[in-house]
Amino acid sequence: MSRYQVDKVLRETVLDADALARFAAGPAAYLVGRDLSAEERRALMEHDYGALYALGAHPFLLWGWAARVWALRGGDKEQFRDRYAAAVRPHGYPDYAT
Amino acid sequence: MAQLVQLIGVQHNPALHRRFQQPEPSGPARAARDRFADMGRQLAAARPDVLLVVANDHLNQWFMDNMPPFLLGKAPQAQGPFAHERREFGLPAYRAPGDPATARALVEASYDHGLDVAWSDEYTLDHAFVVPLTYLRPAADLPIIPFFSNVMAPPLPPARRFYAVGEALRAAIAALPARLRVAVVASGHLSVEIGGPRVMRAAPDPAFDERAVELIGRGDVDGLLALATWERMQQAGNLTAAFLNFVLLVGLAGGQPATEADAVPLDTSTTPFFSWTLHGETAP
Repeated sequence: MSRYQVDKVLRETVLDADALARFAAGPAAYLVGRDLSAEERRALMEHDYGALYALGAHPFLLWGWAARVWALRGGDKEQFRDRYAAAVRPHGYPDYAT
Repeated sequence: MAQLVQLIGVQHNPALHRRFQQPEPSGPARAARDRFADMGRQLAAARPDVLLVVANDHLNQWFMDNMPPFLLGKAPQAQGPFAHERREFGLPAYRAPGDPATARALVEASYDHGLDVAWSDEYTLDHAFVVPLTYLRPAADLPIIPFFSNVMAPPLPPARRFYAVGEALRAAIAALPARLRVAVVASGHLSVEIGGPRVMRAAPDPAFDERAVELIGRGDVDGLLALATWERMQQAGNLTAAFLNFVLLVGLAGGQPATEADAVPLDTSTTPFFSWTLHGETAP
């Protein structure tokens, strides 16, 4: 479990538009050398915010990150909230303390 | 010798700014904007020399690599928000002076009153500061001493610590050597959820909101501490712990009933307005 390392990636890419662009252009390369589990790495690379939520990523960071990646990929902003809510709902309220 | 003259508690939803900027806001948005303006007038009437602002950074600068539970800012400037917040929420810049001498004296007085507060000489005010300040003091002419709390990254200090920190600040302000009129703005939330299943819906827990406003209105400290447990706040909404900033504010008020405590229900959350006009000191 490396929840802190996941939060660190989410925060970097929320704060810094260049970091977000680098991440979006090549997520695998962006994550090289990070101390992440295989599942965390996969979920970040595949923009699987439901899985990241279930793993205990910080919900505030996750929401900001997921929305930015969604927008960068040309996703419709109005659809995002409902898709996000549907993806996290099955997981209830996981502990997000590090 | 410094005097606490006015305490105000409001929320900091960054989406409020766009709502309030619409040409003709109506209904609850208009009511909320008008209440912000009322609070701004109360702040002005108190004629403060300096403004202590209690709010929480949103993992923008204080992060899990080095997380202070409570941190006081003593830089010569107070400005924000972060570039990504300006882009995302269309927030305006806010630039005000700091007050390093008073801030340093407040740190020293805090140590004398049981509060080992962290401090910093460099920071940015995030939207939790900028949203209230934009509407309460648009002139940005008052020196700002920011007081950052951690309500974002658990483990958090419990409610009784937030209350005790408010009490310690109250004593520390009274012990400041300068003759200053000090006002406080606390920026928090009632029930709120971001990044959970109830994200951006109407207030996730109206019963929590109603109870919280009632308890603060009548200065029921025991009731407030019983309400503001981690478990109850999580049940109310996953980021409801920002309510703890209001618990700190009640400590600053010494547990007195609020002069005004009410709330406007918006479609995103319930927007509270708390104020304490202290000692009748606002008369000219």
